[in-house]
Amino acid sequence: MIIIAIIVGCLIGALIGIYAPMVSYTYSGYLAIAIIASLDSVFGGIVATLKKNFNLTIFVTGFFGNAILAILLTILGQKLNVDIYLAAIVVFVGRMFTNLAIIRRYYIDIVVKKIGNKKKKTVK
Amino acid sequence: MNKKEIAIALGIMCMILTLILVIQIRTTNSANQIVKQTFSSNNLRDQVLKWKERYDYTYSELELAEKKIEIVRQKASENTEGSTEKEEELKKNNILIGLTDVSGEGVIVTLKDNPNVSLDSTILDPSMVIVHFGDILGIVNELKNAGAEAISINDQRVVSTTSITCEGNVINVNGEKISSPFVIKAIGSSIYMHSALTRPGGTIENLNQYIQASVKQSNNITIKKYTGIINPKYMKYAE
Repeated sequence: MIIIAIIVGCLIGALIGIYAPMVSYTYSGYLAIAIIASLDSVFGGIVATLKKNFNLTIFVTGFFGNAILAILLTILGQKLNVDIYLAAIVVFVGRMFTNLAIIRRYYIDIVVKKIGNKKKKTVK
Repeated sequence: MNKKEIAIALGIMCMILTLILVIQIRTTNSANQIVKQTFSSNNLRDQVLKWKERYDYTYSELELAEKKIEIVRQKASENTEGSTEKEEELKKNNILIGLTDVSGEGVIVTLKDNPNVSLDSTILDPSMVIVHFGDILGIVNELKNAGAEAISINDQRVVSTTSITCEGNVINVNGEKISSPFVIKAIGSSIYMHSALTRPGGTIENLNQYIQASVKQSNNITIKKYTGIINPKYMKYAE
């Protein structure tokens, strides 16, 4: 059911996005940062689900909070003439890779266990 | 929290994420060319500013050095006899080759692109109503013919090495790009030059059919010196 909801949500979002008005180039930089932050939250959510400590409130606040904080930092950086968005990208993408590694290990463990079980069965 | 709520919340969030993703992709796709252009033009602007700074710095150094030379020259002329004559001669030569600011009576010619032309005017070719290098060349020729002693075009002194050439949409004088309005100052007999330019069927009347040209007499015109370097490589003093 959750997977269905995710797929339906993605489809609706893509459909609206195709017909939505375009953002001016000045603001598309902020939007990009927001996307990276949100993607980071999504990976974090997946990891939390795998570890069975998923909390919807934390997930939702992280999703929007990270995005808004990243946008605000980018604006601040532009005012100060410092590329703070680079720091945000490094942090978020770095976390995305760590989360990805955790997810990979989780599934590799499962697959390896299954193969091991099959081998045991064949030996018996 | 039950599964239904989680599913709805996740669906909404995925919707928002894909929505901004798609919008962003479309924006970058459409803006890509503009972005590249502005990026390269920004780079170019930076470079121009840097070079301009360097130029200004070197130019101020040059001015300082020239002042020093002047002082040294004065001292030298004080010390030795007969050097005052040489000093006078040097000044005269500098005036003639355009290495000092000069002032005197003369005329100021202004050439402008004609702005009063709309698309439905009778002139078919729009390049007819802008100032070309030939027009400036004609004016300079006419001024020299009428006895001009010093001429400058938009503060570019006309010296022996000056060329007036067409460089696309700008005109190149002394290797510097200048553009409309063109102010040509000339020192000499203002009556002669004025009448030479404004005689019936003369250069100004001819030009006024297409562009905006005007002549003004003045008693006190200052023409700036030539800022480049005249450095002969091939010619030598012939005995």
